Amino acid sequence: MNQLQHSRKIARKLRAHRIFGGIKPLALKARSLRSRIMPAPIPEMLILPLLQHQGSPAAPIVNVGDQVLKYQLLAAAEGPLSVPVHAPTSGEIAAITDAPVPGHGKQSQRCILLRADGVDNAIGLLLLPDHRALSHWQLLERVNAAGICGLGGAGFPTAEKLRSSIERGIELLIINGAECEPYISADEALIRERAAAVVSGAEILQSICLADRCVIAIEQDKHDALKQLRHSLESSSVELLELPTKYPIGGEKQIIQAVTGLEVPHDALPMDIGVLVQNAGTAYAVHDAITEGKPCISRITTLTGTPLQTPKNFEALIGTPVSFMFELCGIEESRHTGSIMGGSLMGLELVRTDVPLIKTSNCLIAKSRAEFPEAKPEQACIRCGFCATACPARLLPQQLYAYSRNQNLEQLEQLNLADCIECGACDYVCPSHIPLVQYYRASKQAISSRDQQRQLSAHWQRRFQFHQYRLKEEADGLQEEERAHRIAPEAAHEARGFSRDKARQEIAAAVERVATRRRNTIASSRESDQERH
Amino acid sequence: MTIALTSSPMQHGQLETNRLMLLVIAACLPGVGIGTWFFGYGIIINITLAVLAAMVLEAMLLTLRKRDLKFYLSDNSALVTAVLFGIAMPPGSPWWLVLAGIAFAIVIGKHAYGGLGQNAFNPAMCGYLFLLLSFPLQMTSWHIPSDAIVDAANFSPLGWQGLRQSMLLSFPFLAADAATVQATIDGLAMATPLIESKMAAQNALLTARDTDLPLFARSSDTGWEMVNTGYLLGGLLLLYKRIISWHIPVSIIGTVTLLSLLMYAPGSTSIVGTTYLHLFGSATMIGAFFIATDPVSAATSNLGRIVYGIIIGVSIYTIRVWGSYVDSIAIAVLFGNFCAPLLDHYLRPRVYGHQRAPLLGEKRRTG
Repeated sequence: MNQLQHSRKIARKLRAHRIFGGIKPLALKARSLRSRIMPAPIPEMLILPLLQHQGSPAAPIVNVGDQVLKYQLLAAAEGPLSVPVHAPTSGEIAAITDAPVPGHGKQSQRCILLRADGVDNAIGLLLLPDHRALSHWQLLERVNAAGICGLGGAGFPTAEKLRSSIERGIELLIINGAECEPYISADEALIRERAAAVVSGAEILQSICLADRCVIAIEQDKHDALKQLRHSLESSSVELLELPTKYPIGGEKQIIQAVTGLEVPHDALPMDIGVLVQNAGTAYAVHDAITEGKPCISRITTLTGTPLQTPKNFEALIGTPVSFMFELCGIEESRHTGSIMGGSLMGLELVRTDVPLIKTSNCLIAKSRAEFPEAKPEQACIRCGFCATACPARLLPQQLYAYSRNQNLEQLEQLNLADCIECGACDYVCPSHIPLVQYYRASKQAISSRDQQRQLSAHWQRRFQFHQYRLKEEADGLQEEERAHRIAPEAAHEARGFSRDKARQEIAAAVERVATRRRNTIASSRESDQERH
Repeated sequence: MTIALTSSPMQHGQLETNRLMLLVIAACLPGVGIGTWFFGYGIIINITLAVLAAMVLEAMLLTLRKRDLKFYLSDNSALVTAVLFGIAMPPGSPWWLVLAGIAFAIVIGKHAYGGLGQNAFNPAMCGYLFLLLSFPLQMTSWHIPSDAIVDAANFSPLGWQGLRQSMLLSFPFLAADAATVQATIDGLAMATPLIESKMAAQNALLTARDTDLPLFARSSDTGWEMVNTGYLLGGLLLLYKRIISWHIPVSIIGTVTLLSLLMYAPGSTSIVGTTYLHLFGSATMIGAFFIATDPVSAATSNLGRIVYGIIIGVSIYTIRVWGSYVDSIAIAVLFGNFCAPLLDHYLRPRVYGHQRAPLLGEKRRTG
């Protein structure tokens, strides 16, 4: 019933809707769009993390020293939330070891290091018959085997997302080409130059997830891309929807609101309201995987920032080091003050540039001091409310800030901090330079560790109560026993083989054992100290 | 390469708090200019005195509170408080009155609560209300230079005679003998049109005002309309620059308009006054656009702001018509400030993906 209501709503309301809040930052995309997409050369060493997606890492199936060919499977998916990794070029497996990777959490992860031989020999690709002849489960299997995860940045395994969408039933597939974040132009360049492939990918995705309708949603200021898309869509059932240029309209929840006017309930997934969102880059990768049999070994990435002499979009191999990409663009190291993977509003600051480009890396920004000045000192919040106007989730950022400052976790939960998508719009507009998103991240962390603590203490509380209960039971039982036998307590103990003397002896023995062990430990640690000196 | 690690977002907008404060002051200028044109230098003397005193007091308190002087002084918030306070004060107020008021505003109204962002009440209005309660006589008479005691032919409030009179009013000790000053003050005192309409024979006043309005004659009667128009223009500038949102001014002005339309009885001898008098014959415009919109002490959600504006609008009208104070902006705004935390708590917007707001929720849209 509910589903039916949605289907009617979606069918009726396919036009650009307003999203909540939003900002219009400087786009700064033109400089990387001046030239066409350029294939990046093969670096000497490729670093292929086993976990480039959300979920569990893939398991390597090659050994150090193996010679591998381009497109060869290097690591197989383990479990449903995992995607395989393929060789981007031919060469030798140099190592399978922990190496630095871009990431919020652990900066180091298990990676396959592939030394390229420069020959770029490929294995024969399994060319498929016309994909229209395949069933959607067969297509899904191909997507799964191609190692595709959400290329828009989230990195959720695409096959898994499609599979659960098939199970739930999808009415609308949205191909997200909005790309609203400043600096990033990878999807725009991709659609501008390869619109037909994106449309083909969209059609394949639609035939896999069995959606009634498929819409490519794109911001209306991307004129060249729109022109190409219109041309490619002439003979297709896929529809086109122009969205207003606004950040963060390309967020999953936001684009659903913009296209359908519906909101994803806070405790549900898009598929629960019959919608599936896939990134335009993902659609392109699916097209490659299905029509040409190519696994996901490269992606389009924007290289930009003022220290780069020739910012542009590259089609780069997964695993290429960031520093290699920067050098391709002629980086001026004297002006380079830092690097961002992703856009300027949700991107990730890179601690080092020897980390690899991964499947989710849509943009690399070389920072300069002029463009990214140091954070200004935080001033007092004057409750101007600009942040509330900008918030796409319609939260009250300045109240969240106030409660974050005094760690009022209950109030934060009541104000739905969990619905914050960390888009940074509030932070962008704050006239007092308050790093709001940092406060929210810290508070979310505090809430989750408090919940963990609560679980732990509840666990121990239960254990303790059970212990008390058991002691009481035992004591009661003992009393009963005594009463039953009508004998003195001492005798009752003896009846169970307990005597005070025996107990004393056992205690003395235990104390002696501990003392010996301690002496031994001290002695051994002294020895190791001496060795060190 | 040096690395300064930051976390997203790494791009920021251009508008900063100190520039925002300066824009508010800039938006006051039309009103101040027109006020000076009609009422002489009294307003400018008030503002200058208040600004100087506010900066000194702010610096002293920041030092006492061990804050970085330059950083906090440059947020310009004390400047805005002082300018608004100076505008609110009757022109021709003696210097000690201005100093006492601004001292109360900065010390008690602002820093006693913890400084910028922490004050529950609008500091300028705290200072004003303190004076209104302590010195009711001085606070309800406007002393303006006029041609009453000098040669009418070549008198201008902006001429040197006007300046001399204004200076004498603000700094009575400058005069050669106290008797002259006393005479001057008594000769020049006037009230705002609303006060007159409440205290005097309303009928005659209202009909005169409504029928034959000499818009460009430079008299104290028309002065009020022009001054209010000036603040209206400044307020529109703030709206255009998106410094303030429309919710508070529109709901205040709307409420006052509605109430005064409903209550107005032409020809009656009650003390209600026309809508026009309520909007342009008093401090409604500056109150709605500049005073009530102080974000620190106002409600923050849009719905909250509308209710906040309605509360203030109703208070303004009620106090003017049935209360014992005539110009009621300060009391009404402070009353609104009292309600703001409650409004913030109950009138939250419906969050994306949630089915209802805590109270007065919008129409349910998600399934």
